[in-house]
Amino acid sequence: MPSTDPLYAGLGQAVRIGTELLAALIVGGGLGWVADTYLFASGPWGLVVGLILGAAAGVRSAYRAAQRWSKP
Amino acid sequence: MENPLHPFELHNYIPLSLFGIDISLNKAVFLMWLIIAMVAGLLITAGSSRRLVPTKLQSLAELLVDFIRGMILDTMGKDGLKFFPFIATLFLFILFSNLLGLIPGSYTVTSQIIVTAVFAITVYAMSLVVGFVRHGVKFFGILVPPGTPAWLLPLMMPIELISQLARPISLAVRLFANMTAGHVILGVLFGLAIAGGALIGWLPFAFTIAMNALEVGIAFIQAYIFTVLTCVYLGDAITLHGHGDAHAHS
Repeated sequence: MPSTDPLYAGLGQAVRIGTELLAALIVGGGLGWVADTYLFASGPWGLVVGLILGAAAGVRSAYRAAQRWSKP
Repeated sequence: MENPLHPFELHNYIPLSLFGIDISLNKAVFLMWLIIAMVAGLLITAGSSRRLVPTKLQSLAELLVDFIRGMILDTMGKDGLKFFPFIATLFLFILFSNLLGLIPGSYTVTSQIIVTAVFAITVYAMSLVVGFVRHGVKFFGILVPPGTPAWLLPLMMPIELISQLARPISLAVRLFANMTAGHVILGVLFGLAIAGGALIGWLPFAFTIAMNALEVGIAFIQAYIFTVLTCVYLGDAITLHGHGDAHAHS
């Protein structure tokens, strides 16, 4: 099994971070856009706030993923 | 040159419909049946002769089961072994579909986002159900990371909510994108090899061989990541804030 190999395990963890950032950004921006278009008609502000919160959530997820590596 | 996205198109072999819902059979459906038959066949034949000195097939099955067991113990602890059948099925199905897709002329089921999305949503819904059954209303505490000062709560809760909602999306997109991208690259390289002819075509052809070897690694890694994250999410639901965080904050 190659995935028990430390190189492959490390590669696997590294690949994780990118999608983690992207997915949170998509969800944050998407929620903001939905709030703008269908709920409040609040101009671009929902999208702006949503994207910022999404970026923060992405960094938070990446941080949490990285925290697992330093586990003794 | 042929369109490199052409291999991902599905055509109905046997058109069927049930109460107006289209349930036509196509290549992907047949391949999923084949994968289920192969996984079940492998494990049933391997498990039928339980010898002390294992046969080749039996030791392969023991290796797989041991690997999945270790993965669950690492991420969820002993409580997680209840989910062993579910996680083992998920891992073996994804692994076999990734690997079978590498055989030329075959089809990668996991390169359809609908397949990976169904897996991801099932996993995430399961973690929510497990969380609410075990912790009741307290499960909303997953939105509050331990050690958050009270004045930060209005900011942290939306951020945690978004990072929770992003989980099924990142699960589904990662597997789908890795599989699709690998096969598109292989398709482009094969197209170049044919277009190049005998003079220069051997160069992209050599690259397809190297890429195929890399793709075998990716097939294992992606199946592994999907299952590890399933364990992590279910583990978070069992022990609020999860195994990894508990270590980091203690």
